[in-house]
Amino acid sequence: MRTLSMPKNEMPSGALVLLILRVLRSGPLHGYAIAQRIHQLSSDALRVEEGSLYPALQKILLNGWVTANWGISETNRKVRFYKITRDGLKQLESEMTDYDRQTRAIQAILRTA
Amino acid sequence: MTRLLRRLHYLLNRRRLDNELAEEMEFHREMAAKSGGMPMGDALRLREDSREAWGWTWIDRLGQDLRYSFRMMRTSPGFSFAAVLVLGIGIGATVAAFSAFNMIVLRKLPIRDPDTILRFQRQGPKEFWSDVPYTHTVFYREHAKTLSTVLALTSARLVVEEDEKSPITYFVTSDFLSELGASARVGRIFTAADDGPQAPPVVVLGHGFWQSRFAGDPLVVGKTIHLNGKTATIIGVAAQEFSGLGADAPGFWAMIGQHPYFVHGSEITTDFTGQRNSGVVMWGRLCPGATAAGAETELATLAAQLRQAHPDDVWEGERLPSEPGGYAQNVGSTNRGSDRPPSLRTRLYPIFGLVGALVLLIFAVACGNLGSLLLARGAARQREMSIRVSVGAGAGRLIRQLFTESLVLAAMGSIVGLVLGSVVLRVILVWTDAPAWLDPSPDARVVFFALAVGCAAAIFFGLTPALHIAKQKARMTFGRTFLIGAQVASSCVLLIVAGLLIRAFDRVTSSSPGFEYQHVISIDPDLGSHGYSPARARTYIDDLRSRLLATPGVESVGVSSTPPLGGSRIMASVEVEGRQLDIYIHQVDASYLSTMKIPIVRGRDLAPGDTRSILVSESMARRRWPNEDALGKPFSTGSVDEDGKPIDFTVVGVAGSARSLALKDPEAVEMYRLVGENGFAGVTLLVRTAGAPETLTSVAMKAAKALDPEITPRVQLLKTLFRQNVRDVERSAFAVTALGVIALLVACLGIVGLVAYAVSQRTKEIGIRMALGAEPTHILTSLAHQFQRTVVVGLIVGVAGAAALSQALRRELYGLSTLDPVSYIAAVTLFIFVVGLAALLPARKALRVDPLTALRCD
Repeated sequence: MRTLSMPKNEMPSGALVLLILRVLRSGPLHGYAIAQRIHQLSSDALRVEEGSLYPALQKILLNGWVTANWGISETNRKVRFYKITRDGLKQLESEMTDYDRQTRAIQAILRTA
Repeated sequence: MTRLLRRLHYLLNRRRLDNELAEEMEFHREMAAKSGGMPMGDALRLREDSREAWGWTWIDRLGQDLRYSFRMMRTSPGFSFAAVLVLGIGIGATVAAFSAFNMIVLRKLPIRDPDTILRFQRQGPKEFWSDVPYTHTVFYREHAKTLSTVLALTSARLVVEEDEKSPITYFVTSDFLSELGASARVGRIFTAADDGPQAPPVVVLGHGFWQSRFAGDPLVVGKTIHLNGKTATIIGVAAQEFSGLGADAPGFWAMIGQHPYFVHGSEITTDFTGQRNSGVVMWGRLCPGATAAGAETELATLAAQLRQAHPDDVWEGERLPSEPGGYAQNVGSTNRGSDRPPSLRTRLYPIFGLVGALVLLIFAVACGNLGSLLLARGAARQREMSIRVSVGAGAGRLIRQLFTESLVLAAMGSIVGLVLGSVVLRVILVWTDAPAWLDPSPDARVVFFALAVGCAAAIFFGLTPALHIAKQKARMTFGRTFLIGAQVASSCVLLIVAGLLIRAFDRVTSSSPGFEYQHVISIDPDLGSHGYSPARARTYIDDLRSRLLATPGVESVGVSSTPPLGGSRIMASVEVEGRQLDIYIHQVDASYLSTMKIPIVRGRDLAPGDTRSILVSESMARRRWPNEDALGKPFSTGSVDEDGKPIDFTVVGVAGSARSLALKDPEAVEMYRLVGENGFAGVTLLVRTAGAPETLTSVAMKAAKALDPEITPRVQLLKTLFRQNVRDVERSAFAVTALGVIALLVACLGIVGLVAYAVSQRTKEIGIRMALGAEPTHILTSLAHQFQRTVVVGLIVGVAGAAALSQALRRELYGLSTLDPVSYIAAVTLFIFVVGLAALLPARKALRVDPLTALRCD
């Protein structure tokens, strides 16, 4: 039973899955690019480490939300590109709706309480 | 579903996928390094975390553990062999017991649709009969709507040609065989046309009898055979795997409608009272859609209808309760009483309970032994464990590893146990002449049971040592000492009893039973069941006797109502000084003792007309009148004469002790009196021959037939009966000896484990003592001292237990003496010798300890 210490600016894996699926919606990306994109889009606020990115990607693959295909990177290296599937899009849709509802509910409480 | 498939895909391709993942993560690191980020953590570990998402890491770990376990087993083959053997014996015992339970209680009989066969019995307000008059079953068969047919069976022993053995014949309804799905091995089975008094008499042979009597000759079909002297045609042989619904394997199947033809005086087809030997076992086949409750209701109504025609023969409010008929536990057995007797099933449960307790004890001892062996080895592996802990193995991982080793042992033990168990059961079945259709081969239930017991064993013997070893501490517990003591005691009991049995067997075969059996033929005409009156029986016996005496080669002829080794016995009990004395009463004629060559020690033999005189055996004279002369003493057995007055007998002679009815009981006492005028319908003739008795059996048969062609007596050689009796002791002696040796073996392994453990614990101390110049014998003595008390206490308990057990066994086993010093001393000596050897083996290791190594160890 090993415990992995989690850096402070990491996020829970549920949210990570949501973010990965969201950045993949605009097109296939490889692992490092996914981490970069999340980092950039969050204005450097969120950092995705290998230690959480790859386990999350394995889980997503296993659920059939993305497929992985080998391609050539911008630096001319052989690398795996992840492409969102129809199931993945559906999952993203429902997770986003859930997330919206939850945040609205939380904000409602924060405002009124 | 697709998720499951994907997971399987990961399982099957996990090596390739792992490489791909590695490549991908390598790329990630390179990129991160280029952009100035710090790569974090150990690459291998990160990859393992990712792989965890696939959910298959446990397989890799299990694989590692298994590989390691097998490597450990290979490095110590002696230990592994001993462990698997001990476990195999323990599991084998439970498997054999469970298989027997499965075979008798759980499995259905190999018949067609066993679920819709019901057995019916008679229940009245005051009475219960497990048999039903055949005439009633005919009525139910004709009228029942819920039952598609009613089957009936009754059995009888018919004499075949002039054979010594009379196999059981099952008389059944004509559709009995076809309804139960029997097929013919050769020829055909019965059809409706075979039934009825007009049809030509036919029989179907049982498979076993066909094999033994006709050597499996297929040409026997179509031939005629004589049963009770009546001609019948053999039409076929039933298939071996057909069980029927009875407990025995019958020699013949015949038509119930022809019962009166074969059995003289049978009224089975006409009698409604059920009192004249006309009861049968009744089964019914449920119609599709009908229920057992429905059939019971209908039969109760039908019984009420039948009562209108036969008010005396059907009870008021008679019901016919049913029970499932398709199981081995519900076959056979008939009895009558005021109330319903407990079913065979409930009568079997205590037996299974007892056997179950015994095998669980063996199993527990085996597990305990293995536990101490493992613990001993664990102590030897302490260094290995500390190394593994120091390179980062957690306690959980270590326990898992050790437990996997136990599981591997348990799995192998299960396989050995399964094989051992079914072999043992098979041998038991052959020994007890069980019917061939009882199938002892393990089915899925038994295999599952063996594996489950193996897992339980792994938990029992493996978990505690694993916890101890992983925590790197181990203690000698009181429980373990107690276990060793208990093992010493139990194997000691078994060994002593085995010794007693072997000695008893030796005595039975080498010493005389008190009568001479080599040259005697017994002839049982069974006049009573052929409707002979006492007077007519007397004439028949006298005629037959004079005919036999006129035959060349016959020396003398005696008569007894309880012929030697015949199985039937008459007993009376008297109280002598507060203790009960059971007496075997022989009703004989005046020439019985001389025919059986039983000597007259004092006084005189019985003479014809001595109705108030008796002979007693020496053993009885000693017990009944200790320190007195038995001659002339009055004696009463409690029997009464015609006027109801108790008969007082006078002892006129003392005969040699002859255990002709109880070979097994060395303390049996006998009394002889003349058979009364009314007793002649039930006597057997005993013929002493000058030469080999075999030549005279057919002469004797012819002489009987000439007197009354309706009667075919059972003619048997006493020496055959004697041999059968001896074979039984031989087998029980062998079985107990085998058990004793196994128990000794198991106990030895336990002691090896214990001593090895103690030695490993005291290596340092031994090393120091050796370095200081201690004698090896001193060290051995101090080691032995540790176990002395346990072993001695175990031995004492064992000897006491053996004495108690032999008291109980005495009645059942021939000439078993309770205090036979030779058996006790031999068993205890053997035990101490073997145990000493077992202790010495690991102790020797201690003496070879290099003092330097010993001091260095921890």
